[in-house]
Amino acid sequence: MTTFIASVVVGVGTYVSRAIFILALAKRRIPDSVMVSLQFVAPAVLAALVIAVLTNDDGSVAIGLPEIGAFIAGGATVYKTRNHILTLVVGMSVFWVLRALL
Amino acid sequence: MSQSTSIDRSAIRRGITDALPLYVPAVPFALVIGLAIVEAGLNPLAGWSGSWLIFGGAAQLTLVTLLGSGAAVIAAITAALVVNARHLMYSAAMAPTFQSQPGWFRWLGPYMLIDQMFALASIEAGESDPVSFRSYYLAAGATFWTLWQLTTALGIFLGPAVPEEWNLEFAVPLLFIGLIVIGIDKWTKVVAALAGAGVTYLAAGMPNRTGLLVGALVGIFAGTVAERMSR
Repeated sequence: MTTFIASVVVGVGTYVSRAIFILALAKRRIPDSVMVSLQFVAPAVLAALVIAVLTNDDGSVAIGLPEIGAFIAGGATVYKTRNHILTLVVGMSVFWVLRALL
Repeated sequence: MSQSTSIDRSAIRRGITDALPLYVPAVPFALVIGLAIVEAGLNPLAGWSGSWLIFGGAAQLTLVTLLGSGAAVIAAITAALVVNARHLMYSAAMAPTFQSQPGWFRWLGPYMLIDQMFALASIEAGESDPVSFRSYYLAAGATFWTLWQLTTALGIFLGPAVPEEWNLEFAVPLLFIGLIVIGIDKWTKVVAALAGAGVTYLAAGMPNRTGLLVGALVGIFAGTVAERMSR
């Protein structure tokens, strides 16, 4: 039930962020200073998430050579190819190999 | 107002054929979300409901992984909402185009305004009349929506079949890295990403994963400051 209610809340919030200027504030512009900050939301939050999902319950972060190696390999792959499927294949393979070797 | 329900068949066809190839990169996302719902031990139907309630991959993935990892519900919701705050930019950018559209479409359209739709609609907006734009937008949006519901559900069904020792949950941060790299078009975004990750690392011991929010805010702030200094 918690999951469903949380999804409803996030769903409503997401709809509002997509609709607010189209429905209500069509004549208004986002102030330039806010626009500057908004472009950093995605990189900052996604990078924070990378660490957050690797954090254990005791507050330690499970990031070692296999993870870092996979991120570098995956990052290079997506940079070159823009292909998420290939990125997953390369990144996971590097992760598995390094984990088996180390 | 009789125009408000007119359709343009060729625009519908174009909407579908433009959406299909753009959906391919989203397939691993959808599957990983399904896997993450299973992995997190959430009720599958409740987890999947986010596919149509939110209709946004990054926010849904954030929500299910954080809920599954024992984060406070408020922290998980806040993080997911912050992830989707970028849609404010899309809304502002599309607002002028939607002014020539009927009311029902101005209410329905934003629900479908995902990253891919924004990319397609910004191109289409400059090239077609209101009727064609609306037909194109609805066709592409309905295509993305249908595929998204099906592939996230598929991930939930495939989830239990994946052996534990594959550690497929590592695909989640890997996909986030992919999104970061694709989105980086200037060095100040690298600053935002590094600051966001670094501060979250230092704040990892904070209760209920709230360090994530601190890291995200510092990252946004660092990027903004870097941008100011480079001007």
